[in-house]
Amino acid sequence: MRIRRNLLLSWEILAAHKLRTLLSVMGIIIGVAAVVLIVSMGRGAEERILGRIRTMGTNLVIVRAGQVRLIAGRQRQMNTVRTLLPSDAWAIAEECPSVASAAAAIDRNMPVKWGAGSIVTRVVGMNEEGFRIRNITTPSGHPFDSQEERAARRVAVLGHTVARDLFGDADPLGLQVRIRRVPFEVIGVAAPKGVDVNGRDQDDVIFVPLRTAMRRLFNVTYIQAIYVQARDAQASKLAEEEARNLLRQRHRLRDKPDDFTIQNQVTLLETEREMSRSMALLISSVAATSLLVGGIGILAVMLISVRQRRREIGLRRAVGALRRDIRNQFLAEAGLIAGAGGVLGVTLGVCAALAMSGLGYWEAVISWPAGAVAFVFSVSLGMVFGIYPAMRAAHLEPIQALRAE
Amino acid sequence: MIELEAVEKAYGSGSTEALVLKGISFRVEAGEYVAIMGASGTGKTTLLNILGCLDKPTGGHYRLEDTDVVSLDDDALSHLRNRKIGFVFQMFHLLERTKALKNVMLPLIYAEEYPDDAEERAKKALTSVGLADRIQYKPGELSGGQQQRVAIARALITDPAIVLADEPTGNLDRRSGLEVLAIFRRLQQEGRTIIVVTHDQAVAEHAGRILLLSDGAIAHDRPVAEPRDAEAELASLPKEDRR
Repeated sequence: MRIRRNLLLSWEILAAHKLRTLLSVMGIIIGVAAVVLIVSMGRGAEERILGRIRTMGTNLVIVRAGQVRLIAGRQRQMNTVRTLLPSDAWAIAEECPSVASAAAAIDRNMPVKWGAGSIVTRVVGMNEEGFRIRNITTPSGHPFDSQEERAARRVAVLGHTVARDLFGDADPLGLQVRIRRVPFEVIGVAAPKGVDVNGRDQDDVIFVPLRTAMRRLFNVTYIQAIYVQARDAQASKLAEEEARNLLRQRHRLRDKPDDFTIQNQVTLLETEREMSRSMALLISSVAATSLLVGGIGILAVMLISVRQRRREIGLRRAVGALRRDIRNQFLAEAGLIAGAGGVLGVTLGVCAALAMSGLGYWEAVISWPAGAVAFVFSVSLGMVFGIYPAMRAAHLEPIQALRAE
Repeated sequence: MIELEAVEKAYGSGSTEALVLKGISFRVEAGEYVAIMGASGTGKTTLLNILGCLDKPTGGHYRLEDTDVVSLDDDALSHLRNRKIGFVFQMFHLLERTKALKNVMLPLIYAEEYPDDAEERAKKALTSVGLADRIQYKPGELSGGQQQRVAIARALITDPAIVLADEPTGNLDRRSGLEVLAIFRRLQQEGRTIIVVTHDQAVAEHAGRILLLSDGAIAHDRPVAEPRDAEAELASLPKEDRR
């Protein structure tokens, strides 16, 4: 085809004007790079959120005693409320049809000692069911069983951080730690779970049987939380409603406000995901604006180029080029410039995303489809903005074009 | 070959209409070497543009090898230029950043069928104008005379029947100008039709026939009894002047 024969020549001419060509596609380069970077960052954020859902246990609904407020973006449990009882947990498990199981839990910060080492950590009283619902596994040792729970035995499962801080690389199984001077035998170490939605280290924790915690450590009859597992992800909303109605009824609240707070973790995460998505959309629209500006850059430079190359256009017409040959040539050049800009932009965006991941600022997942879309988009953009200059070039009269200075 | 009949060319319209060509008629047979002369503003470039199918007359008839040029549309004119006509301009009009070879190949891009031996043909054309060793040079690396010879090679690449030249020696020194004129003579001997527009009597006398334009009309049309011989004049130039 004539256009392909000519494209090589166009490329030579464009390559000869490196600076002009580069400047004209700067906007496109930056726009494409931004799109690729943002999409990669967004995908990174998504992966992280999905990872959290997996570590948290699926279908999880949490009932907390009292009001939970958001303070400085973090969830804080307000004043102590004594109305939430272990029997509430059993009732939810028994009476709510959408609930698969429920586990009561209570936690306090307490000093924990082993040998000369001493740390303060969160001591969580929880039963066997809680491990399963919250998806906590114990690669070494085992969680306490119902017998240890019923007998209020002094056994403990260490979170990963606690095990590391107190014992280093040593194996803590069978050793005795003291929680507020009460000796506990270590029977397991939980697998690491990382940081939760609130930025709290989920591994800085010691699990003890619920009954042991209530009677021997905290000396209370109430609990702070109930972990509820819905039958499946779809049922979590329903489970939340059923648990709320049941608790209101059991606590005889009538027209008083809830003395508990129910958090549906999946909903929370979806909200966060939604936020990161709308953020990405916002930044992408800024990037799209940059692409638009890039298109206008191409328009401007192509117009200048047509003006400067009038004699070349006249000559091409004299030796037989049709109007549409000239039009196609300048369209192809605009597409070529924009395409080169697109390739540079994708490269730049991928490099930036890799750099961010490499430096540990943000986990970015490179999105090649986004790169391809950005590339195709920039080529089309170049051609669209190249139409007007190309038409101008095609409509030059050969004799006038030849005479141009 | 070429037949003009009462050709008129007007620019503008109504009261501002300016008639540049006022009824020009002449014939040029195949293989003729014609010089069109005239002072500036007499319409000789306009006439050349019409002969080269770059512009259409506003009145009269122009037949080129049995084709009625006036009735053709823009695309057909382009095809005609590509197939039949080779242009040589005063300003050379080469692509500055492109090598001589690619410059010469340019018209082939717009040929109806791109020849497989395009590059061979371009090399041959460059060799025929004495630039076999300058194939990979860019215009900026060549002298004015060499650039004009590249332009002639470009005009010849499509093997046109007619070569039209507009002040081809206007920007050249005497020796380079004579070299160009020597090439034109050779082209005529190969059977091509040559039409040169010039205001220079000495250049015109290399042709076999001179058409003198005056105020948009042919003042006289006469054969040159004894055309000047560029080869001989080149040989007679002082030796130290040679490059």
